[in-house]
Amino acid sequence: MSSFVFSRDFTSRLVSPLQRNRSTLRLVVITLLLLTAFTIFSPVPFLGVINFQSMGFQVTEVALLSLAMMLSMLTGGIDLSVVSIMNLSAIMTAKLLAANRVPAGAWGPLLLCIGAGVGVGVMCGVLNGLLITRARITPILATLGTMQLLNGIAIIWTRGTSVLVSQDDFINIGNGTIAGIPIPFAILLVTSVAVALLINRTALGVRLTLVGANPTAARFSGLDNNRVLLLTYMTSGFLAAVAGIVIASRSASANPDYGATYILLAIVIVVLGGVNPYGGYATVGGVVLAAICLQIVGSGFNFMRFSLFAYEIAQGLIVIGVLVIDGLTDRGIFRFPLWPKKRRSRDVAGSTPGEENDPVARE
Amino acid sequence: MILILALGVGTINHSFWSVSTVFDIFRNSFVNLIFALGVLVVLASGGIDVSFAAIGIFAGYATAVIFLRSRIEVSVVVPFIVAAAMGLILGLANGAVIATFRLPTLIVTLGTQGIIRGALLLYIGAKALGQLPDALETLNRIDLLRLQLPNGDLARLNIMLIPVVILCVLTELLLRYTVLGRGIYAVGGDVESARRAGFPVARIQLFVYTFVGMLAGMAGMAHVALSRQANPYDLVGGELNVIAAVVLGGASLFGGKGSVLGTVLGVILISLIHNCLILLGVPSFWERATIGLLLLIGAAAQALGNLRQPTMNTVATGAVR
Repeated sequence: MSSFVFSRDFTSRLVSPLQRNRSTLRLVVITLLLLTAFTIFSPVPFLGVINFQSMGFQVTEVALLSLAMMLSMLTGGIDLSVVSIMNLSAIMTAKLLAANRVPAGAWGPLLLCIGAGVGVGVMCGVLNGLLITRARITPILATLGTMQLLNGIAIIWTRGTSVLVSQDDFINIGNGTIAGIPIPFAILLVTSVAVALLINRTALGVRLTLVGANPTAARFSGLDNNRVLLLTYMTSGFLAAVAGIVIASRSASANPDYGATYILLAIVIVVLGGVNPYGGYATVGGVVLAAICLQIVGSGFNFMRFSLFAYEIAQGLIVIGVLVIDGLTDRGIFRFPLWPKKRRSRDVAGSTPGEENDPVARE
Repeated sequence: MILILALGVGTINHSFWSVSTVFDIFRNSFVNLIFALGVLVVLASGGIDVSFAAIGIFAGYATAVIFLRSRIEVSVVVPFIVAAAMGLILGLANGAVIATFRLPTLIVTLGTQGIIRGALLLYIGAKALGQLPDALETLNRIDLLRLQLPNGDLARLNIMLIPVVILCVLTELLLRYTVLGRGIYAVGGDVESARRAGFPVARIQLFVYTFVGMLAGMAGMAHVALSRQANPYDLVGGELNVIAAVVLGGASLFGGKGSVLGTVLGVILISLIHNCLILLGVPSFWERATIGLLLLIGAAAQALGNLRQPTMNTVATGAVR
């Protein structure tokens, strides 16, 4: 039995770096292929500064959501409520701005409003975290519930309508450029670096990954799983809130039902980016690259006049395709269990499927 | 727990207590209940399916389109069979992917939902049809019971009650009295254990998702018939209500638990709330928040209740509520 375990460990340790590099490599290859394909087939020039700029504007929202999703997936859970948190934060900021008529140039009050929106996001994250850790509700169910609840609250708050923003500075954030780079994209880059640092260089980051990779081991190592999870969902909420601010600023409005299709898109991005849905492995670079990749697909479809529905189909195909390919190529080594279970003490000798992942994420 | 809530809500508004309201609630529940039966089986097997609404509306809409275009005169039953067949095939696809590659069920069905919905809107049509084939129109007019009430209202219990009840009974029989049913609960309890105990896990999963697909097809058809129009934008977005209902009725998201009775009560509860909000004059946008809140409360109650039980019980005892 012990030699069986040993050989499993060994092969997984061997395969992990391969898989890690391979998924990022695969992404780069796919992105380049897509770019070439669309350049060839598009009726209108695809490779152009304007197009890249507009993609840069659009990609930020979903990318931030994907990062938020990635964090929760790292811990082995999932956060389905990110879209609702995003909208709620956007609404908060928009309402504050509208109610107080902050004039242009008044950066103090502007930052306060933004801060309030972000604060809302963090609080929602806390709610998620508490439900998962204190009430012991499984992440899927908890975030499913909060998704509904927060969406409902947002609808009640705005009575189902959009909230308009007319503060110029704020709108500039979402629509301006710095040295040709769209500001939202710059925000994305900064945030990604921050998240990557968080995961790789801070104690919290390592704990996070460990909790996802093997919660039982984490607990026995003396980690406070509950605290780690709480902080994870708080950060997830924070990221979702930032996404909301970006959206509010870019479209000069906040709507409780915005981005309903983003959940699928975020999950597609995360899976494409090489994140293991059962926790323990993720790279920020992978996720951002995947987001860009899907943005290219979206823009490409747009250029070629494919319908939006085709984009939806493509997303579904991509996510299933990636999962299948991953499952096929790693068959026999990475056997995905059916469903991420709460780990009860499984003393079944030699078999803990899905836990061979190397709990170290790298940029 | 559910009954308490029902009584509580009922006493607030007195016009609630009338036979026509009860029949209304039933009528509103039919579609969700058929969906919920499928979801129950999926949850019991430890998976989750969010594509059932998409499958449902696909089957319903496509069937309506087929019969409208071809103008074949058929009885009421045929569209349902056709829709069920469509749902079955789609569910089979789901099941095949999940079982063969052992993929996370949430993500796969999320992807499938996108594909199916996209395919429906793209290839079959994005327009709402206001006119249904005659066979389906008659469904609305057939009543099981017609009661003339003292105040002159007509209370109608739709004929759909019969098929729905039959489906409930069949599902209950399946879950409780067949080896397949035990297998479903076993897989839900713990996959590895089930596999080692000799259950054909892949085949069970295949069945489960095919089953929910078939039911979804029927439910979608029912929805189209009962709402007197075929709108391809319907149903998707309401998955949560169904899942909430099933969870409230006692099914555990981890699998291994759940019963038809609980599911029925859960669905009725959701319909109840829907109706009550209307009766109480609460604007419709409170509904989503309420259901979310209820879902959380129910899930919390269930999860905390689980902590007190020794966890070993849920695996082998099968259809324990």
